[in-house]
Amino acid sequence: MSVVDKADAAARARVRVERPATRWVPAVRSAAGEALPFIASFVLLAASWEAMALWLHSPLVPDLSAILREFLVIGESGKAFREIWVTFYRMGLGFLLAVVLAFPIGIASAVSRKAERFFEPGVILGLTVPGLVWALLCVIWFGVSIVSPVIAVALGVLPSMVITVQQGVRSLSADIVEMTRVFRLKRTTVLRRIWIPLLYASTISGARVGFSIAWKVIVLVEIFGMSNGVGYQLNSQFSLQSVEGVIAWTLAFWLAMMAVEYLVFRPIEKNASHWKKSAYE
Amino acid sequence: MSSDIVIEGLGKAYAPRGGRRPAVIFDGLDMRVEAGQLVALVGPSGCGKSTLLNLIAGLDAPDAGAIRFDGRARDSRLAMVFQQPRLVDWLTAEENIALAFEREGSRPRGDAREMVRALLRKVGLVDHAGAYPQFLSGGQRQRVAIARAFAVDPDILLLDEPFSALDELTARRLRLLLQSLWGEADGPRPTGVLVTHNMLEAALLADRIFVLNGHPGRFAAVMDIDLPHPRDPEDPALFAIHRQVLHALGEA
Repeated sequence: MSVVDKADAAARARVRVERPATRWVPAVRSAAGEALPFIASFVLLAASWEAMALWLHSPLVPDLSAILREFLVIGESGKAFREIWVTFYRMGLGFLLAVVLAFPIGIASAVSRKAERFFEPGVILGLTVPGLVWALLCVIWFGVSIVSPVIAVALGVLPSMVITVQQGVRSLSADIVEMTRVFRLKRTTVLRRIWIPLLYASTISGARVGFSIAWKVIVLVEIFGMSNGVGYQLNSQFSLQSVEGVIAWTLAFWLAMMAVEYLVFRPIEKNASHWKKSAYE
Repeated sequence: MSSDIVIEGLGKAYAPRGGRRPAVIFDGLDMRVEAGQLVALVGPSGCGKSTLLNLIAGLDAPDAGAIRFDGRARDSRLAMVFQQPRLVDWLTAEENIALAFEREGSRPRGDAREMVRALLRKVGLVDHAGAYPQFLSGGQRQRVAIARAFAVDPDILLLDEPFSALDELTARRLRLLLQSLWGEADGPRPTGVLVTHNMLEAALLADRIFVLNGHPGRFAAVMDIDLPHPRDPEDPALFAIHRQVLHALGEA
């Protein structure tokens, strides 16, 4: 074994020894780097609230421990989970109905001027009408059945989803369409390899916005016309004048929405746009 | 065998805009490209080169006259390389090339995967088979576009200023790549039409140069380039042809 070989082997051995100790460091560091701003914003929010509570010393601004107590009460009894599930179920149905309707309307108004003119007033009307109006009308029309929240949510979400789909379809450049014509690609191929992936990628971020609109509508429907769900609970805490109750329910639902964001929308979005080069990575 | 391209009495005008008279691009243009030849269409911008190519591609319809592809019973397979690569962003390099196999009414001969691999090897992108277009350089994207055009084993290959959006060094490499792909095509060579404003590029690649000029567009000259393939971009004979083309356009 030459000197060089020996030195080389020694170096390799050193690397091998060091590796188990250092391997997890970058992983932890990157996880910490991702979590840190998140934790910082949360701590800052909680601290300023607590400071405000101490300073004002008013029952209208309960301190963190009161909110946490209320939060644990609704969590431990399982009530929060049941009510959030009920709300999600209604939102989900309404949202799904909106998506199912948004695709044909959005595609039609993207490819045909006539269809666009036909649907445009409705879409603009839908964007202007406050969720409150849909909630009130649906409760008046459909009463306390499941139909009310579903229709109200669908009406609230539909306009923005139609615009999302329409813009998604329009985002395909004429250049690519020409290419498919020159190469005489099969219609099924164009649909499967071009249109569906394009719509998948372009509607997912619109779907996320739509889902947050759905929440703003459903909470009103539940306040006016339902006897359960997060909106109903918020309203009953309001009538009990329990500020910590209102905040605890809001907090619980916020957590649920975060779970949906991180467990559903983020992974789907990542999957849908893995071919995009991002400037911030 | 590949197809002749026969153009007879071609007429094309665009509707007037803003009160001007209709723009007559062609009025009774005749042209013939023999099977297996690569011809170049050169001329000043706005002379109708790209319009003519779009008419041949079927992207636009003539107002008068006819464009025929003679020489084979079944439909001619047409492929095109555009100025911009026109790749599908959400498909990998490999998938973009394989897309060309999905033609109306035809099946790829042999193993599609293996054919894509072979094409990637030829254009020097084997290591980038799984890369998405946004992660490739401009030159690499255009290589994929060239591979896609050759994937269909075309009878007719249309090239619309394929190198003009690239930097000169990349363009030079891709011209040589195109020359070698043309030379080593298995089976008969495709019939090619190259639109370019680069006369040296035309001289390097073409068997014949059509010089288009005027309104409506006419052929100011048709030159046969008898130099043997493959050609060297530094060959002084190419510069002589360059001068002849300029002369035909009344520029020298």
